[in-house]
Amino acid sequence: MTALLEARGLIKRFGGLRAVGGEEGLSFAVGAGELVGLIGPNGAGKSTTFNLISGALAPDAGQVLFRGEDITGARPESVAGRGIARTYQTPRAFESLSVLDNVVLGADSAGERLRHAFSSGWRAEEERARAYAVEQLARVGLSDRLHQRVSDLSGGELRMLEVARQLVRDPKLLLLDEPTAGVDPALQEALAGILVELRRGGMTLLVVEHNLRFLLRLADTVLVLTDGELLARGSPAEIQSDARVVRAYLGDEHAA
Amino acid sequence: MIVQLLLSVITYGSLFAVITLALNLQYARGGMINFGIVAYLAAGAYAYAIVTQEPPSGLDQYLFGFDGPWWAGMIAAALAALLFALVTGWPTLRLRGEYLALTTFAFAEVFHSLLLNERRIGNGSVGLSNVERPVPEVAGIAIDESGFFAVAALALMLVTLLVFHRLLASPYGRVLDAIRDDELAASTVGKRVGRLRLQVFLISAVPVGLAGALYAMITTLASPSLFTAEVTFFVWIALILGGERTILGAVLGTFGLVLFEELSRAVPFESVRAAQVAASVQHVLTGLLFIALLRWRPGGGPKGDRS
Repeated sequence: MTALLEARGLIKRFGGLRAVGGEEGLSFAVGAGELVGLIGPNGAGKSTTFNLISGALAPDAGQVLFRGEDITGARPESVAGRGIARTYQTPRAFESLSVLDNVVLGADSAGERLRHAFSSGWRAEEERARAYAVEQLARVGLSDRLHQRVSDLSGGELRMLEVARQLVRDPKLLLLDEPTAGVDPALQEALAGILVELRRGGMTLLVVEHNLRFLLRLADTVLVLTDGELLARGSPAEIQSDARVVRAYLGDEHAA
Repeated sequence: MIVQLLLSVITYGSLFAVITLALNLQYARGGMINFGIVAYLAAGAYAYAIVTQEPPSGLDQYLFGFDGPWWAGMIAAALAALLFALVTGWPTLRLRGEYLALTTFAFAEVFHSLLLNERRIGNGSVGLSNVERPVPEVAGIAIDESGFFAVAALALMLVTLLVFHRLLASPYGRVLDAIRDDELAASTVGKRVGRLRLQVFLISAVPVGLAGALYAMITTLASPSLFTAEVTFFVWIALILGGERTILGAVLGTFGLVLFEELSRAVPFESVRAAQVAASVQHVLTGLLFIALLRWRPGGGPKGDRS
């Protein structure tokens, strides 16, 4: 299995404090077609790692490689253009747009180009983009909310909206930041189904999640982060039986 | 008297509405605060004057006069405004909110100061007064000049309105809305935020430059005193008055404000002193109106406050 994404010696400091990377920096690889879980206590640097990959932050040291290409410090739109999609821990939505438009926006319809604004050649592609967006919204359970304002959605629904917006991009790598937080159990089940489907379709996923029951049954590989450093890497079974992980992260309840 | 007043409201209302529309595009849709938009108008007016005026003679201190036709002046005006937007927009568009506002304001002030002090551009504070204007005639018959320019200004405004409306109603407008709502989320789905913001800056500069050319034709003058920060804030008041959310509101706000100005100008005064007092009072009232609008604005809080 070749690595689709590779982090090499990543270091990010915030005001002198190391958020990601120990002495040697954070290094890990995500293989093509894998579903990798990224877990760790609060403040372990999981979201910062996502920000370093997606271009929302530039690392102080180290490299990010995607399909062998160095994308370190590339701007978010350029990272997105290469086929990396992500969601945020706090869902981000475009509040002046409808639920449907929020998702259509992910599809990069040709009508969005300035040169097409005064022709009508874009209509066919725009229709396709809308149809695809409707499809993805149905997948995450938002079919009956298409024309509502995003301010009418609950926190969990906003999360699903963000997932749908990334799915219309058909990314090669999807980074999900706590996709189940605030999402009701039925929808969590649906989400688990979607992730399995995506993985089967060849998409690579990197998922930050606190809900281990959700994550451990889906992940091929789990990375455990503490204080910005990689504590362990292994299959869900290995991670669950790793004494260091149990001590550092899972706590007494699991150790028992 | 009434006809003259009406024509002048249509003329100046339309010219200023073009600027309000540009601000509406930049601010309400693009999320960018431009406190130096008067510079586009000045760039257009000066470019028009320089291209169409005769070469310098006598006491003239300006260097260039090309005696070109009016349409060449119009093209030059659009290009000059475009160039100004490009030169000032390129380095500043990464700035946000009040920082962008201050920078655009500073650029406009620098430009104003340049026009005032570098006499080789446009005779310094005297300005350029040999501005060529096309002789309006239809089928060889001369027609009323003020009516002609009122129609021209109205046409420019309507074309600007239609073009902007079409632009914003297309998926392009949706992307602009998304960037204004959440830049990071927009760039996460691949939108090239910096490039789109610059596009908006450039698109909105063109009609303002053309308005500048018309303004120079109508007043037959391009001088620094016509292009002060007062113009910028006048247009901002109009935008807020009309409600920043709608294109129509921006136009109506401008016409309302211009009507108010023209009416107060039409009041006859017994003495020069009275006229001077009235002019000052008008400034004070405009200022108060601005403050009141900012406090109880019709369109809700500024974008920056919502996050």
